[in-house]
Amino acid sequence: MSQHRDNALRYVSEEPFYQPVGNELGVFMAAWGRRLPVMLKGPTGCGKTRFIEHMAWRLKRPLVTVACHEDLTSSDLVGRFLIEGDETVWQDGPLTRAVREGAICYLDEVVEARTDTTVVIHPLTDHRRHLPIDKLGQEITAHPDFLLVISYNPGYQTVLKDLKPSTKQRFVGMNFNYPPAELESQIVMRESGLDAERSRQLVQAAAKARNLKDQGLQEVTSTRALVYAGTLMAAGLAPLEAIEAAIISPQTDDPELGAALTEIFQTFFG
Amino acid sequence: MSAATEEILEHLDAVSFVAGRDAREALPAVTPLGEAASLRYLEAGRDLFFYDREAGKAFFHATPALVQSFGGLDPWLEQARVFLTQRGTFRAAVGFFEQAALVRKDYGLEGEKIWYEEGAAWVGRHVDSAAAYFRMPVARLFGTFSAADLRTLLAPARELAKGRLGLASYLEGAVKVRALCGLAGVEDWATRGRDILAAGRIRGEAWFRLESDEARGFLLEVLPGFRTGPHKRLFALLLQAWTGLHLPFEDGDWNVEGGRSFLETDGRSLFVPAVMPDREEAILAFYHTGAHLAFGSYDEAAIRALFREIGSEHPPLDADQRITWRPLFAQFGADLLRFQLIFDQLEDLRVDLAMEREMPGYLARLLRAARAQTPPPGAAGAYWREALQLTEAAAAGRLPPALAALASESVGIVDAFRLALERYASTDLPPITLAERAAAFLPGHSPNAARPVYPRKSSRTEAVEMDAGGQLGAAGHKEKPREAPQQAEGNDPDLEIPPEDIQGTGGRVGVGIPMPAKVHGSGRGVQGPKGGWPYQEWDYRQQKYKENWARVHERQLRERDEAKAVEIAMELDGTMRRLKKALQAQKPTRMAPLRRQKEGEEPDIDAAVQFVVERRAGQSPKANIYRQRRPLQRDTAVLLLADLSTSIMAEAADTGVRVVDRLRAAMLLFGEALVEVGDPFALYGFASKYHQEVLLYPIKRFGERFDGRARALLGGLSGRLATRMGAAIRHSTRQLLRSPGQRRLLLILSDGRPADYDDGGDPRYLQEDTRMAVREAREQGVHAFCISLDPRGGDYLPLVFGQGHYLVLPHIDQLPQRLPEIYLRLRGHG
Repeated sequence: MSQHRDNALRYVSEEPFYQPVGNELGVFMAAWGRRLPVMLKGPTGCGKTRFIEHMAWRLKRPLVTVACHEDLTSSDLVGRFLIEGDETVWQDGPLTRAVREGAICYLDEVVEARTDTTVVIHPLTDHRRHLPIDKLGQEITAHPDFLLVISYNPGYQTVLKDLKPSTKQRFVGMNFNYPPAELESQIVMRESGLDAERSRQLVQAAAKARNLKDQGLQEVTSTRALVYAGTLMAAGLAPLEAIEAAIISPQTDDPELGAALTEIFQTFFG
Repeated sequence: MSAATEEILEHLDAVSFVAGRDAREALPAVTPLGEAASLRYLEAGRDLFFYDREAGKAFFHATPALVQSFGGLDPWLEQARVFLTQRGTFRAAVGFFEQAALVRKDYGLEGEKIWYEEGAAWVGRHVDSAAAYFRMPVARLFGTFSAADLRTLLAPARELAKGRLGLASYLEGAVKVRALCGLAGVEDWATRGRDILAAGRIRGEAWFRLESDEARGFLLEVLPGFRTGPHKRLFALLLQAWTGLHLPFEDGDWNVEGGRSFLETDGRSLFVPAVMPDREEAILAFYHTGAHLAFGSYDEAAIRALFREIGSEHPPLDADQRITWRPLFAQFGADLLRFQLIFDQLEDLRVDLAMEREMPGYLARLLRAARAQTPPPGAAGAYWREALQLTEAAAAGRLPPALAALASESVGIVDAFRLALERYASTDLPPITLAERAAAFLPGHSPNAARPVYPRKSSRTEAVEMDAGGQLGAAGHKEKPREAPQQAEGNDPDLEIPPEDIQGTGGRVGVGIPMPAKVHGSGRGVQGPKGGWPYQEWDYRQQKYKENWARVHERQLRERDEAKAVEIAMELDGTMRRLKKALQAQKPTRMAPLRRQKEGEEPDIDAAVQFVVERRAGQSPKANIYRQRRPLQRDTAVLLLADLSTSIMAEAADTGVRVVDRLRAAMLLFGEALVEVGDPFALYGFASKYHQEVLLYPIKRFGERFDGRARALLGGLSGRLATRMGAAIRHSTRQLLRSPGQRRLLLILSDGRPADYDDGGDPRYLQEDTRMAVREAREQGVHAFCISLDPRGGDYLPLVFGQGHYLVLPHIDQLPQRLPEIYLRLRGHG
């Protein structure tokens, strides 16, 4: 048995743009200072992932991101044996590597993963900071710089997949939401290269569109969707086409809802 | 005065004091016309008075106006004699005398002649019809049409009279139809009505009164313009997006003013006309009315201030606690419409400017729509142009200095009222009639005081925060009170046991006969512990639980309706097939990998490694080294709990469909879908009557088959009693905990907020209890999710069920289709 390594952990080399909305940097830095695990809550496309990339850059720690899905098992996170030549070789999973090397491990949409994965992270989240590896019969202690970050989106489609309260309580919770209009238009402008005026209009229209939350929209118009629309517009697409393609069409299949959204955006871009 | 006139007057005196007095009072208006004329006049008056006292009185009273309007006695004096030809014509005569002067003035000599002749023809035909005709206000009767058109309007009525349909039934409808679809439309409508009348009298009359679905359907078919019906959801969405308001829609009536139908509001609901001129005008109407609601035209505080302006401390309320506007305008007397229009214009301008701040380009859009119209003629045109100019000035930011204040964010309806008073004093806008008024409004605009209103507490409710339970029922929640269950007696077809506290109070069969305290019959279902399952109930006022307060009884529903179930299944056939297809199509994606399989699509790395290792070690392991994808048996169990309270028997506000009809269909479809999906499920209904009688009706328990019996029970569903939701949730949670499945979902289907007979009218009490019941369920691993048909659900559902744990279905028609979809989305794919 030997340690198997491939390429090194990824550092975030260039500063990812992140526009703070409140004191999220301060809260995160405080949690980091005591190495308390962090939970980012918020709707799709409001900047959770970008925030964590930005923090990794700021802290100069490598970032290991795992997008969780239904089939993700604990061995996908922790690691497994592989055969190499004549011997079996243990390969660390992304979580184990982060634990060993002191990276920030970001489990995106953690509720999507199978429930056995949450069991694995439990001992990492309290004062023990241990990762048990059953297959190796080991229990490794986390690197002093290791930090666990999870995100989850409390949307209604995951009602059944809510995190257990006992799991949630192990984390420092940070709420994310779509930024206030002024900041959001700066973000759209900065990210998409769109002019200030149209960025502002996109954000204004989105604020209205977000009022339609309970009306069959699983998710409201996200900052990311606005950035996409802005990017398409900046690339020369007609505004309404860009909006249809980047915002309305991905968001709903319901013709009435689509008509309502179109009507709203048309007011600003008609 | 000649001897002959004196003689007649004395004769009248002798018959009646009133007759003599009235005749003497009227005579000076006639005397200038000469002796012969006076005599002729008095003779006609005497004949009328002797013929009928009321007719004579009306004759004398109307004389001065008639003489002035006609410039003499002709031809009205001769015309009046027609009322002498038949018995019982006095009602028609009174109507004639009261209105003839006005008709002469507004429609000319020729117009009056036609008006009279059309009516006079009916005196011989059918006296009551003549009365209905002459008594109908001429402004309505003529509308915006000419006197000649009156003939056309009435032509079909002669034919219909043979089918014994009087003008009283015909006219009201005909006038509305004429306003909606013009004279040609009236002819079509009447022709079809004749056939319907021939088929059945009641049906026919309902048609002509525009009360039947048939008539409604006809109008929708022939009306030119934009049908709002299929687009109500779009409007609701737009209104919500721009103003944050969730208002229920109700059907506006067919009462159109001058050919225009207006969107109206009473502060709580929007009354949507079936047809509007076009989509743009409809959208503008929703925006504009939404602006009135969002920017305080109907705010309670503002309206109070408004009435203080006219020195009235309290706005007058009608029986429904709605504010009536009339006193506000009463001081203007005959000039009321003129002031109202000026006030409307300024108040419209105020909210339009406020809307423009929210919605850039709104004023420009309004102007575009207005310029596309032809300005109306006459007085209405003056107002219309005035409104257009004001809006143009507002859009350009060049309001006249006197009105500049309207553009400020801080002005309210009171300021608009004050400005309107100033403007009224200085403007030279012409007087206007009611018939003309409708045309005076810009597209999407309408009379603001069209209906009495329920004052709104505050214009904008703050977004409620999750778990902020303390806000429940706090000020700012405004809604139509749920049909409060006033009488606890009766109307539960399945409830045989009178609750203790009403025993012997009457109203039930068998009162006075000693009755057993409990009835144990066959098929009474699981009784549970004696007196029902006890559950705690949360009392927010005490901030503690009342232990064993609510008692839940499981009862069997008795009504079964297989035929109905089959009928619904037939109706839903298409949907059902689509749904099944979708479910089947979804199956391949709902796959989970099975590990360590003998065969499969991809290697299972862990298993393969173990295999190689064991082989090397000299063993002969089985080559179970593949992963295979197979449909996964989901471990989700769901209990659908339907609110069966009385309110489901009502028609949903804007559809004309009973809630219960859609509920039956939805539950049937849900059952069929769940059978297809294969998840364990149960269907329950619930109702309540005081805390001791919370009733759960199992329709299909876990482990039972979804069979003909369950379907028949669904077919026979009906509403009864009230909604004590907390106890029902606690009992359902208990059932779910004993169900198979590791993930447990409690789907609650309701049409309103929790209420019961003994909640003391405090909506917050049972809401808070429901909130606690949901929380308790969650702690036990049962996820509650509420699907509500209550348009105001957004006000309280987040507080009760938590953000993301509820869905408001704005359109009840969607319920059957949406219910299975919602479930599938909740449980997740895969």
